[in-house]
Amino acid sequence: MKNIYFIILSVLVILYILYSIRKNKISIKTSFSWMILCIIMLFLSIFPKSIDFVAEQLGVYYAPTLLLTGCVVLLLIKNFNSSKEIYYLQEKVNYLAEEVSLLKSKKTGKK
Amino acid sequence: MKKDDKVLVVIPAYNEEKNIEKVINDVKKNIKFADILIINDKSKDNTLNIIKKCDVNYVDNVFNLKYALSIQTGIKYAKENDYDYVIQMDADGQHLAIEAEKLYQTAKKEKSDIVIGSRYLVDLGYPCPFFRRVGTKAFEILIRLFCHKKIVDPLSGFQCINKRVIDRYSKLGGYPEFPDANLVIDMLLSGYTIKEVPTKMKVRTDGESMHSGIIKPIKYMCVMFYTCIIVLIKNIGKRKEN
Repeated sequence: MKNIYFIILSVLVILYILYSIRKNKISIKTSFSWMILCIIMLFLSIFPKSIDFVAEQLGVYYAPTLLLTGCVVLLLIKNFNSSKEIYYLQEKVNYLAEEVSLLKSKKTGKK
Repeated sequence: MKKDDKVLVVIPAYNEEKNIEKVINDVKKNIKFADILIINDKSKDNTLNIIKKCDVNYVDNVFNLKYALSIQTGIKYAKENDYDYVIQMDADGQHLAIEAEKLYQTAKKEKSDIVIGSRYLVDLGYPCPFFRRVGTKAFEILIRLFCHKKIVDPLSGFQCINKRVIDRYSKLGGYPEFPDANLVIDMLLSGYTIKEVPTKMKVRTDGESMHSGIIKPIKYMCVMFYTCIIVLIKNIGKRKEN
């Protein structure tokens, strides 16, 4: 069992995600995709040969590149979604800041 | 001509303790028919105290919102209090209050939605850094290419807008960081009318400009061109929908 380390790592990451959810540090919705990722990780560390099988099906010559490409693509998607989320939040903050500034001025400013 | 139009002069100020008092007095003296609203964009210096002393309406932003959102705050204020016209001015003393009336009269007489006070329409002897002149020229060409209209100084922050535009701006989500040429293009393509009026402007005497340094203007130009192109693409989509 050479891959025991990877199994332990995956399990630890899963536990950490669960812990974060319990402590309210991450929303259940966002944790979902990370959890899926971890489960794939766990699956691959238990059955390392499966990646070879998938690579063969997809016509990828060297299996590890498939793994790396998959990771990069996933991270890019995740990053893009984060950008979208940040923009959405920024818009909301801007709106609130404007409104609060106006409300405050109503209180203090002369009429 | 009815005289009961409500006009608001919006002046966003950021770290302008040296200029703001002069500007407020200038506006008070020369634009008697309008109300003044100063937007203090969380200045780090003494600006807020000076504004308080000057006895004008002001909004104190909760944190630094940058130029564009400060303007939008002012426009929202105008919308809430039912103003007919908003005149945007800079707090650095570049824009002369005496010229603001010209903008307002033009907006009123010619029923123009936006009136821009332009530095270059007639050569009034405004000394301008070379870089800025080149940038302005480039935007002029861009606008003429796509909107078939000659706007000589689309980067001017000296504008008078009417109620229709106040309505639109106050609702505008994703208000651009630099509301200059891109907004002009957007408004032109959406069927608003824009008119330019030659105005005298002074050179900034004290304080620091938004566009000082070397990196900032370059970044500004890049962002601006990019936004203009995006605005054009957006509007092509909209036109096809209609």
